[in-house]
Amino acid sequence: MEQSYILETRALGHRFTDGAAVLNDICLQVPERSVYGFLGANGAGKTTTLRLVLGLLEKQQGEILLFGQPFGRNRLQALQRIGAMIESPSLYGHLTATENLLVLQKIYGCPKERIALVLEMVGLSATGSKKAARFSLGMKQRLSIAMALLHEPSLLILDEPTNGLDPNGMIEVRELLLSLNRKHGITIVISSHLLGEIEKMVSHVGIIHSGSLLFQGTLAELQQQRSAGGRLSLYTDDQSKTTSVLRAMNIQATFDGGKFTMPMPQQEMIAALAKELIGSGVSLYELSPAGNDLEAIFMDMITH
Amino acid sequence: MIQFVQSFESEWLKRKRSLASWLVICGAFFTPLVITVAKIVRHGALAASSRLPNYWEALWKSSWESMAIFLLPLGAILASSLITQLEFKNNTWKLLHTTPQRYGVIFLAKLSVILVMMLQFLILFNIGIYLSGVLPGLLFGVSYPAEPIPVTYFMTENGRYFLACLPIIALQYLISLQFKNFLVPVGIGLVLWILSVAVLSWPYGHWIPYTYCSFNYLKDGPKFTHAFPLITFALGYFLLFTVTAYILYLQRKEKG
Ligand SMILES: Nc1ncnc2c1ncn2[C@@H]1O[C@H](COP(=O)(O)OP(=O)(O)OP(=O)(O)O)[C@@H](O)[C@H]1O
Ligand SMILES: [Mg+2]
Repeated sequence: MEQSYILETRALGHRFTDGAAVLNDICLQVPERSVYGFLGANGAGKTTTLRLVLGLLEKQQGEILLFGQPFGRNRLQALQRIGAMIESPSLYGHLTATENLLVLQKIYGCPKERIALVLEMVGLSATGSKKAARFSLGMKQRLSIAMALLHEPSLLILDEPTNGLDPNGMIEVRELLLSLNRKHGITIVISSHLLGEIEKMVSHVGIIHSGSLLFQGTLAELQQQRSAGGRLSLYTDDQSKTTSVLRAMNIQATFDGGKFTMPMPQQEMIAALAKELIGSGVSLYELSPAGNDLEAIFMDMITH
Repeated sequence: MIQFVQSFESEWLKRKRSLASWLVICGAFFTPLVITVAKIVRHGALAASSRLPNYWEALWKSSWESMAIFLLPLGAILASSLITQLEFKNNTWKLLHTTPQRYGVIFLAKLSVILVMMLQFLILFNIGIYLSGVLPGLLFGVSYPAEPIPVTYFMTENGRYFLACLPIIALQYLISLQFKNFLVPVGIGLVLWILSVAVLSWPYGHWIPYTYCSFNYLKDGPKFTHAFPLITFALGYFLLFTVTAYILYLQRKEKG
């Protein structure tokens, strides 16, 4: 399969000076024009990976390719086309939103009109002479996104950009990023520790756990894996009757915390189970897919 | 070169409204203000002094007394630490280092901002000296000083003081690029400055790089016998510190 990756790492490894390896053999493959969700729990190594990719950490092991070129020798050309935001907002607190953008505008030499434009995009047009230090966390986050967008990059690298945004803000940012991706073909790498948060916008997913990449592929592929590894949870008023129904239907279930859980059965099987339970006079409180959250997928991936 | 100019403009913007830029203004006008007030209090002596043939040189000397030994070194220490501190405090090294700029350009642009601020400081101080020389006179109707302003002398001395504080700037820049905690560069700077005052009468005092502003002030004094090539020493240390600072800056494993 011939595919051009806008960002690719080969066997990337890293350890900090204080000891253990934080990243092992990370092989990211971010296709052009994709929205790549980079998922992992706290401390999994998302930020470390992205810092390496941007040259903020010295590379120790492996290769990094950006736009098909090795990063080391083409650092400036690559950075020219990348907009990045790593973890907590980087802003000059004593400057206003416009002045913060002006600092970057001077470096990139992009037209000054872009400043008002990106402020408009993130909904910060009306902050006037307010200093960035006085912004709320959400406003700081938005300004950081505006700063990443200023020079019309073709690759956006955003580390937890919706951190600190209210639900409405999250939706706005999501819409903004999606439209950038669709209209301008900007590739976006976005990290998060919540699958639910970025599920609605990503086309590709990479899952990192304890410094290793557990999964990488399209969202559809992940969903397949998820339903394969998914579980069904069952909550009724009568434990013993339910147990005998399950046994009769030959379903392996475990009872834990007042609920039964079992490997996800076929759809027809679920319907039959419900019918059978109600038929035997059991009140059915809940019959739902369990373990759809990221944590469960992790557990699944680690144990298998 | 264009890169450097762009980078410098960007760095210059960051200094706006920062503590460092206020320091330049307040520091520069502090001594002239004190002198002006002192002259106003003793306005009886104004008429006599304005006829002196060395009116400006005397004013220059008294203006520079606290400046050379105290304010200029401390100003240099604070200014270079504060400018670098901006990036640590705001967590912006990672922003700066993901802009498409060579590390050398970033390094030089920042250093240049500090140097230009020192020049700004000297210019403002000179304006302050001039004003403290003529304003009290105007206020009390005393005639304008008889002596013409010794421009060449002033400019030479300005230049010498500027060169004399370069080692301080470079070493402070070196230290403050390495430490996130602002107290480290300022603390080391203060210790070195106190040391530099203590060694002024020691024959090898001129090997301490923070002494040159004081030595430049003392050199015209009657009892001063400590001859050494001040400018050469200052420039030598400046180059040494700057090159070391750059190497250490490049070697930083975590750039944000
Ligand atoms: N500067 C550092 N020095 C030493 N260890 C570090 C450093 N930065 C990160 N680590 C370690 O590297 C591991 C990965 O951290 P990283 O910040 O990449 O996680 P993350 O996936 O971004 O987590 P989060 O979701 O909390 O942001 C952690 O165990 C962390 O303790
Ligand atoms: Mg992180």
